[in-house]
Amino acid sequence: MASTFSFSIIPSEVAQFGPRLGSISLCRRDGSSIPEIKTPSFMAGCSRGVVPHLSRDHVKSTAAIRWANIPFESFLERLPPVPTLQPGPVPLHTFLGFQPDRHLLSLCAREPSDEREIPVNGKGFISTLCVRGVRKLTPSAWKSYALSCQPDIVVALSDNPLSQSNQSQKRVTKSLERSTAWLANLLGPVSSADHGYSDTSHPFNVLVNMVGGVEERARKAFAEALVETLYAKDQQQVHPLQRLDEGITGYVFEFIPLLRSIRARTVNNDRTNNTPPKIPPKSADGVSLDNEENQQLAALLKASLSPFPPTKVRVVYSCTSPHQILRLIRDIGIDVFDAPFVHRAADLGIALDFRFPVPSTFSPSSPRTREDGSRDLGHNLFNYAYATDSSRLASSFNAAAEPEKGENPICPCLACSPISPSSHLELSSAEDQEFVKSPPVIQPPYRRAYIHHLLHTHEMSSHSLLAMHNLSVIDAFFDGIRQVLGGPDGDGQFIKEVERFCATYDEQLEVFREAEVDWSRVELERGKGRLAREKEKQTQNDTTSTVPS
Amino acid sequence: MPVATQAAIKGLTPQQVEALGINLILNNTYHLNLRPGMKILKEAGGAHKFQGWRHNLLTVETFPSIHLRLVCLVTRSIDSLQDSGGFQLVSLSKFTKITEEGALFASPFDGEPTMLTPEESISIQHTIGADIIMQLDDVVSSLTVGPRVAEATQRTIRWLDRCIETHQKSGKADVQNLFAIVQGGLDPELRDQCLEEMIKRKDRVAGYAIGGLSGGEEKDVFWRIIKQCADKLPEDRPRYSMGIGFAEDLLVCVALGVDMADCVFPTRTARFGVALTLNGPINLRLSKHEADFRPIDESCPCPTCVSGTSRAMLHHIMTLETAAAHAVTQHNLVFQARVMGGARDAIINGTFPQYLKDFFANYFGDAGYPEWCVNALRSVGVDLLDGASQAKVVSGSGAKWERVE
Ligand SMILES: [Zn+2]
Ligand SMILES: [Zn+2]
Repeated sequence: MASTFSFSIIPSEVAQFGPRLGSISLCRRDGSSIPEIKTPSFMAGCSRGVVPHLSRDHVKSTAAIRWANIPFESFLERLPPVPTLQPGPVPLHTFLGFQPDRHLLSLCAREPSDEREIPVNGKGFISTLCVRGVRKLTPSAWKSYALSCQPDIVVALSDNPLSQSNQSQKRVTKSLERSTAWLANLLGPVSSADHGYSDTSHPFNVLVNMVGGVEERARKAFAEALVETLYAKDQQQVHPLQRLDEGITGYVFEFIPLLRSIRARTVNNDRTNNTPPKIPPKSADGVSLDNEENQQLAALLKASLSPFPPTKVRVVYSCTSPHQILRLIRDIGIDVFDAPFVHRAADLGIALDFRFPVPSTFSPSSPRTREDGSRDLGHNLFNYAYATDSSRLASSFNAAAEPEKGENPICPCLACSPISPSSHLELSSAEDQEFVKSPPVIQPPYRRAYIHHLLHTHEMSSHSLLAMHNLSVIDAFFDGIRQVLGGPDGDGQFIKEVERFCATYDEQLEVFREAEVDWSRVELERGKGRLAREKEKQTQNDTTSTVPS
Repeated sequence: MPVATQAAIKGLTPQQVEALGINLILNNTYHLNLRPGMKILKEAGGAHKFQGWRHNLLTVETFPSIHLRLVCLVTRSIDSLQDSGGFQLVSLSKFTKITEEGALFASPFDGEPTMLTPEESISIQHTIGADIIMQLDDVVSSLTVGPRVAEATQRTIRWLDRCIETHQKSGKADVQNLFAIVQGGLDPELRDQCLEEMIKRKDRVAGYAIGGLSGGEEKDVFWRIIKQCADKLPEDRPRYSMGIGFAEDLLVCVALGVDMADCVFPTRTARFGVALTLNGPINLRLSKHEADFRPIDESCPCPTCVSGTSRAMLHHIMTLETAAAHAVTQHNLVFQARVMGGARDAIINGTFPQYLKDFFANYFGDAGYPEWCVNALRSVGVDLLDGASQAKVVSGSGAKWERVE
């Protein structure tokens, strides 16, 4: 690796907390680099190393994919993990089919949005899940995997327990100690003999997971340990670094464990006070979603970040909604998000249809509004209401073939703006030359009725088209954020637009809930329930190994 | 030609299919009629527009002399739909009742009895806007014996007349081309009767399909029926063999004189992890591929192989990520198109017999040639064993590869 990851904030002087524009660039040791990534931005999530539902040609033609986050645990099914054996200069890119000149790849151990129960982490390992069961992963193994795979960014192992209940003081202390020690291990020098590095500097761009649970003091303590000057043995371990933070590229927050702990604490407090657990409040005007939970969240993030200057990149895993993303940009100054709800929408048959800033008008083909007046973030295309709907996927975006007048930007995805291929394979000399040589032509958008049809007939291309579309919608969302922030009264305007967004769109994600119900019904109809397939997933590898080769 | 039963090639978008060099796909009228239904198709402006497919809806893998530039949707009655996959078919064959009027079945969606008459099947295909349309036929499983086969054969001929009449009256006869479907089960005499009657109607049909096969009959019987039909059918009409699909089946049929075939095998096997190569199919789910960094086939121009997707990566995601099915589907479709494209070139260059020999030697190699292929090709003067005296010949269907199914 030994690539140079640089992050710069524009303008360079910004407040510790608050919205900010930034820019990421990356130059690898072999000279390859990626185009600038402007922040705030998002990363595409991956499952088993692929962007869900997308073939390589689709990844290539989806401009929204710039940064892909790769959870490594599925590769622990087999040891040594196969990507670590991949020959060539950019092994992880090569193995997974990402383009070194287009894609930044970050590697983390666990799927950040996995909420399943898992055995606790131990003194020298974390527990991970793969289809063959639980696998222990040690810091030294993690380091060697990262050295072999050469991702552009590696997230240090941390002990960030996913717990339903409040953690004891002792458990929190243990978590901090382990996480610090594992980070120091990753930042320590790499034997050049082993990996061919001539320089003694550590070869990683490292993101560190900010742990400490729901105690502001604990979070702050963990952060402060990273900026402390180290002495003696501690310093030798990470030589030539004086402080751990010197070796850190940026900070990560994992929202699944964090939100869980916050909720566990709320329930606990309520119990002590003898009051029923609170339902997240939503005011009559639908505006103020800045409820207690969000305030707690902001306070905890601030506690973690307060010891550091604001110059490094800040990443959040597993945001639950675009609303939450907006608030985190506004209140904290988070730079990069993964967006699991975008992928989830494609799984469920939802075409996202929202924009930031909110469009000034809505049409009859816009998403439906709920009783409280809030508008859905998209369309549940499983719904029979779409069987005869000949609209393009999103009312708030135009199709390249139908650029209407008005404020709508064009959605560049291959569902809204399909384009015939620029080349055709010629597999016989008797091929029809008119066909083979036909130039690329922009084609009409796919209609909701067609995607509805594909969903009901279990055609996988429905999910591919939706995945590309949804990624493009979230990309446009971030583009809108950056444009507002870059305007004359950037911050002021942004705050207003966030209010407007939160007042317009439904944050309860009702459309997701409805789609989940429809989805499971169709799966049942199919005669082979989802559970059966989950089970098949579990046993797949056993079957494989019993088939003689 | 690949099969797009539900107006979609399994997992791929129309643009992806087009990039593979495939300019025709096959839809199934029966399925499109149920879902999305004619109303929606009409509103969308026909099947092409509905699925965003600007080329032809049926691939015509053909002798260069009959280079069709036509669009086709295939209507078939119920039992020959086994290639379509999915639950509909199971419930379909259960409730189907063929009467002289048409095929009656309970809709798999709402249970309502639905009648598909020959006249209606033609007008549906007119609505869809297909360039090649198929008659409705009364097809029985190829394993059926007894008077039912003769009845189905005679009825198919009567239904052809009804289809011809509807078609001629519609005023669409010059833009849409009606294909007859030769039935007759596995009985050569019935086939002859059917052929004779249908050839009499040659002036009013644009081509002939050979139906009622690929239902589990002996391969040795299969090829003899194909040959019988291909020998008798008029030279100036394309012959379309319905629902076949292994690579060796395709090549044998071409050698026997078939011009077109539809085929679900490349897409269906892809979903189970079977990738087709010139050296035989490989099952990517087997652990022997787990650390193999080679692509499926280094010489393959498909997007999967060209982008360097390794067998190891495919093994990792196979059956767990839809992207794996997409990748192998792209490869398998290109494999099939290469095999047929190579056959076309060989026919043009007069080297088809050698092409067949090379293909079979690579594909079946040491595992042994299927005996029925050897016999079928001998019947047209190609001896696969000529110059391959050590070659093993195996009886039965001859499929020998790493299959999980
Ligand atoms: Zn789109
Ligand atoms: Zn290939």
